[in-house]
Amino acid sequence: MSSTRFGWRVWVVFAALAVLPAFPFMTGYRLNLAFDALLFGIVAMGLDLLMGYTGLVSFGHAAFLGLGAYSTAILLERGVRSLWLCLLVAIVVVGLYALVVGYFATTRRGIYFALLTLIFAEVVYTFFRYTMTFGGSDGIQGLEAAWVLPAVPASAIDSPLKNYYTVLVLLLLAYVACRVLTDSHFGRVLIAIRENEDRARFLGYNVRRYKMGVCVISALLTGVAGALYPVRLANATPDLLLWTVSGEAIVMVMIGGIGTLVGPVIGGAFFIVLQEEVSTYAPKIYQAVGLSADKGVGLHFLIIGVILVLIVLFMPKGLLGAVRAVGLRRPRSMAPAPAGGSE
Amino acid sequence: MSHPASDGRPILRVEQVSKSFGALAALTRVDLEVRQGEVFSLIGPNGAGKSTLFNVITGLYPPEAGRVLFLGDEITGLAPEAVNRRGIAKTFQITNIFPEISVFDNVRVAAQSRAPEEGRLGALWRVADVGAEVTALLTAFNLAGRADERAHNLSHGEQRYLEICLALATRPRLLLLDEPTAGMTPGETRAATELIRRVAAERGLTVLLIEHDMSVVMGISNRVAVLHFGEKIAEGTPEAIRSDPRVIEAYLGGAD
Repeated sequence: MSSTRFGWRVWVVFAALAVLPAFPFMTGYRLNLAFDALLFGIVAMGLDLLMGYTGLVSFGHAAFLGLGAYSTAILLERGVRSLWLCLLVAIVVVGLYALVVGYFATTRRGIYFALLTLIFAEVVYTFFRYTMTFGGSDGIQGLEAAWVLPAVPASAIDSPLKNYYTVLVLLLLAYVACRVLTDSHFGRVLIAIRENEDRARFLGYNVRRYKMGVCVISALLTGVAGALYPVRLANATPDLLLWTVSGEAIVMVMIGGIGTLVGPVIGGAFFIVLQEEVSTYAPKIYQAVGLSADKGVGLHFLIIGVILVLIVLFMPKGLLGAVRAVGLRRPRSMAPAPAGGSE
Repeated sequence: MSHPASDGRPILRVEQVSKSFGALAALTRVDLEVRQGEVFSLIGPNGAGKSTLFNVITGLYPPEAGRVLFLGDEITGLAPEAVNRRGIAKTFQITNIFPEISVFDNVRVAAQSRAPEEGRLGALWRVADVGAEVTALLTAFNLAGRADERAHNLSHGEQRYLEICLALATRPRLLLLDEPTAGMTPGETRAATELIRRVAAERGLTVLLIEHDMSVVMGISNRVAVLHFGEKIAEGTPEAIRSDPRVIEAYLGGAD
């Protein structure tokens, strides 16, 4: 609701992202980092549909991400080069898996829902981790690049640049889709379910069907992001399916600003960049405090942890909430209160 | 609709319904017949089984024995959403609204459950315009000026009205009200009772009411039934119930 008011800012940000590669400091390395940041933005936005709009916490989004990645990797390994075919297959695979997870997980609420999504994801992790056909613990390595258009083979355009624009276009499409969805009939019922699930049932809504629907949609967004992953990294490994990845996605949603769509994208991008920057500068920090690099290995995780804790403590509405507070100085709760109401 | 709003025809029949929670018999072979267009009240001391009967009718619990028929069709054991789609809406004893969204959005999401989008694929990108319906309901319950307020910021009395608006927005034929005036001052109670009677008459609604406040019951009801320890001990016009010795005994000797 409030986010429509900020609509134009979103388009400004997209325009800025579109011209970003023109700047000289956007080296191949930075383009790849930006790719990862936007990709996890899509993941977090997908999870936000569940967490922020429906009030369901999934602890199994790593499985949607990983299944998408493996589905692309397996196709690329077998000589399928079209990115669009890879995305299509990932949508089917992740969609079917999400239907099964959603069917069972939505029979329970709260922590039990979260637990069921986690158990399903761990099964998927274990399957890929120990199946040698898919490379076991090494995953699938050394993949060739995918074609965006058959007429434009991978080598025709600078690859980090092509990948960056691919993920940017998908983020744009995902954002528009989520915005339309959350303002739709379906989206409003999701909010009602978040607010008061039982009451929604007594108004005639089949709550379970809505929850299954949003599970699948959220999974598809995450799965599409996952399907894009091997396009840059040329691999898919079981690490992607680990429960810690699901946990990180939850952190991205929370630090960005739950229930805002834009916030989780910011959260995802921030998390990825923070991780990368801190581990890049960690050796310098270690030197400064007199530690050798190998002895200080865990220290940068501590730094990341402290930063995240500070955000959660001091920015209860996330990074987006903090930006809005600074930029507008008009928190939502102060918005129109009709003077001299009936009470 | 093909059903004429003829008084005297049964709209809801409860036949020999029993429900227990462990060793506690909450309802024992309860019979009830509510007629088209009337205001029927259910009274009884605390723990008499009134709310349990509502929960059985609206599908929260299936009964252990007995049947519930609505417009001649059996609805025993249907889920709450299915019962609501048949045309029965319920308000709750403890206010049960969508707290963090606006008053307008509360009623809108209730009203859109009857929009053609519901259950269709188009619901993913379209939304029906039910604004006029929502505004009409809010106006009827003096909430139009509070439309943009978040629901949990409403006063208790306003929340009770919003509760009724939510139920009415699903366009029911039978409205079940579980102590709609709970927690209201005597003045608010009088106003609420008058409003409920007027809205029910305007919309041709049948009302089944649970109420503690005898003045409300006597002022609004066509007929009254009395539950005591899960059994129906009396039924009749408000005047007959007021002078029934079993009812007086139940209230004076009861848990209240």
